Amino acid sequence: MSALAFILLYGISYGLVLCLIALGLVITMGLMRIVNLAHGAFAAMGGYLAITLMQQQGWPYAPAVAAAVVGVAAIGVLTERLLYVRLYQRPELDQVLVTIGFNFVVIGVFTLLFGPNVLSITLPPALKGNVDLGFREFEVYRLMTAAICVGVIGVLWWIFERTLVGAKLRAAVDNRTMAQAMGINVPLLLSATFALGCALAALGGALGAPMLPMEPMWPLKYLVLVLVVVALSGHGQVRASVGVAMIVGIAETAGRYLFPQFGAFFIYLLLIALMVWRQDGLFVPRRAAGVA
Amino acid sequence: MKNLLLRAAAVLCCAGTLAFAAPAGAQEPIKIGFVGPYTGPFAVAGQSFRQGIDAYRAIHGDTAGGRKVELIYRDSAGADPTLAKRLAEELVVKDKVAMLGGFYLSPEVAAAAPVANAAKTPLFIVNAATPALMKMSPLFLRMGQAINQPAELAASYARQSGKSKGYVAVADYGPGHLVEQAFMARFAGEGGQMVGNVRIPLNTADFAPFAERIANADPDVLQIFLPPGAASVGFSKALAARGLTKKIMIIGQGEAEDSDLPLFDDSIVGFKSIIYIDANATNPENAALSDWLKKNAGANARPNSFNIGAFDAMHLAYKMLADQAGKPFNGEAAVKALEGYSFKSPRGPVTIDPATRELVQNFYLREVVKGEDGVKRNKVIKTWERVQPVAMK
Repeated sequence: MSALAFILLYGISYGLVLCLIALGLVITMGLMRIVNLAHGAFAAMGGYLAITLMQQQGWPYAPAVAAAVVGVAAIGVLTERLLYVRLYQRPELDQVLVTIGFNFVVIGVFTLLFGPNVLSITLPPALKGNVDLGFREFEVYRLMTAAICVGVIGVLWWIFERTLVGAKLRAAVDNRTMAQAMGINVPLLLSATFALGCALAALGGALGAPMLPMEPMWPLKYLVLVLVVVALSGHGQVRASVGVAMIVGIAETAGRYLFPQFGAFFIYLLLIALMVWRQDGLFVPRRAAGVA
Repeated sequence: MKNLLLRAAAVLCCAGTLAFAAPAGAQEPIKIGFVGPYTGPFAVAGQSFRQGIDAYRAIHGDTAGGRKVELIYRDSAGADPTLAKRLAEELVVKDKVAMLGGFYLSPEVAAAAPVANAAKTPLFIVNAATPALMKMSPLFLRMGQAINQPAELAASYARQSGKSKGYVAVADYGPGHLVEQAFMARFAGEGGQMVGNVRIPLNTADFAPFAERIANADPDVLQIFLPPGAASVGFSKALAARGLTKKIMIIGQGEAEDSDLPLFDDSIVGFKSIIYIDANATNPENAALSDWLKKNAGANARPNSFNIGAFDAMHLAYKMLADQAGKPFNGEAAVKALEGYSFKSPRGPVTIDPATRELVQNFYLREVVKGEDGVKRNKVIKTWERVQPVAMK
């Protein structure tokens, strides 16, 4: 019973952080159809920026995280306008090469600016320590992170499904030419979407920093986990990615807790099995997948 | 007659020039090749290697045995033994180095062994700690430790401190398995009971599941062994969040060196570790190294096992060159001459054990304390003096 509670609590809170980082990639890769392997670089920028603001400028935790998110979104727009805009019409292999190369540049810059070591984030006292949930103790930090993730995911769902911007975006993705003919400013929409993707990455990076510590290799180290979520979600399946991230988080936690020796392979077994079973995405209805 | 005299003078002059030319040849610089992870995930170690070498040369000059010493650095980047071997080959064949040094991981040393053997090049193992490595070449000199040594000391210390329920958590790779075996065998051998062990995959991001497993086994002493950096920081946080750091004795090795302590939050206070260096030692050698590091390598730079290892490798390199002054460098003879040699290292007095070519050195049990100035440091609470390396069977 206590094992089950542990796996669910830690698996879900871990999955939510993964979800936040992966959501940005689901959006840029799925909606914009660009293989953006540099997504982790933006997440790490968020983490580094938040820590720098806290350590060197003495900002409190919350404003530092918020400023990091806004700052990385701005860097994202700049990168999109200067770099990614040249990649939209290129073959996927070119996109892979350029974005992987971008990772290495960012890793080099991190090493130059912050040194090769880990950079730790200092949580405010209110977020340290444990809270008693009645049946067991749980970390305040994880609880807070989970709550923020749920909030952000809710807002995203509302934007995509219930607002005009969301409708336009879906239209632009489905049929770019037609959307443009209807008077939708597609380039602007794409820039905004990319900024959103980067902002989500930065939020995930900054919030997840105590769990996934910042180091120069961050962009590549956690790329696989994020790609697992994206691959299992299917192209542009924002809603599905939430469910998939939960499954990945719980599977990782359960695997490492119950079978530590094989914990590292657990997630790959899951990936292979699910990809064979549902290659278009875990929660994509069969018939829709057939049409696509 | 006059002509003859002139000729004789000319011949004498030439002979004189030749006679002077021979020592001039010996004055040619001698090269030492250092292979290390100067970039990539282990860059902290590689950069510490360089700090140790730079510090030694700043303090003791750049000539030895009448010859100028040049260092050539080659980057082994990540975990790639074939690259380390290729770099060692290039250093020996192309750059004609007289000695090799560095090497972060045991497989890199194993891969470079044939190169050292074929070229009769002495090789300083600065960090790699697999015991069996020393059997691979008579030209190896180890500046670190055999990994089982601190694990066995930890088990004995835990038993002497009245701990009876042991647990081992190690990174899931070769050296981790050796630590696990060594601790479990010694702990059980001295009457303790092992309540569990876990191997942590190197790609672990969230360490909470391992902390939970350990807590459920209810040990009173935990031996850990993880690579320094992200893994050590993440694991220590997970142990603290599960309340283990305050509840049980935790003994590691190089997870929380003084140069890394700023990475940890205060939950690391109380963490114990056993290793062969004391960053805060007051002996003159360590004080000089510490001073140089603070001035030249940043305020957080401290003596650690990597820079002290490289520092001592330079000391032995200079000693070998001095021993062979005026002769063409002979690697085999130089290593042979070092057997039984004692010197004062920043880590304390050391002797090269003739049987194993490992160091007879002190081991220190340290505990992380927080001073009144708010700075965390490792305080020595027990010293095992001149621990004898055990020859591999």
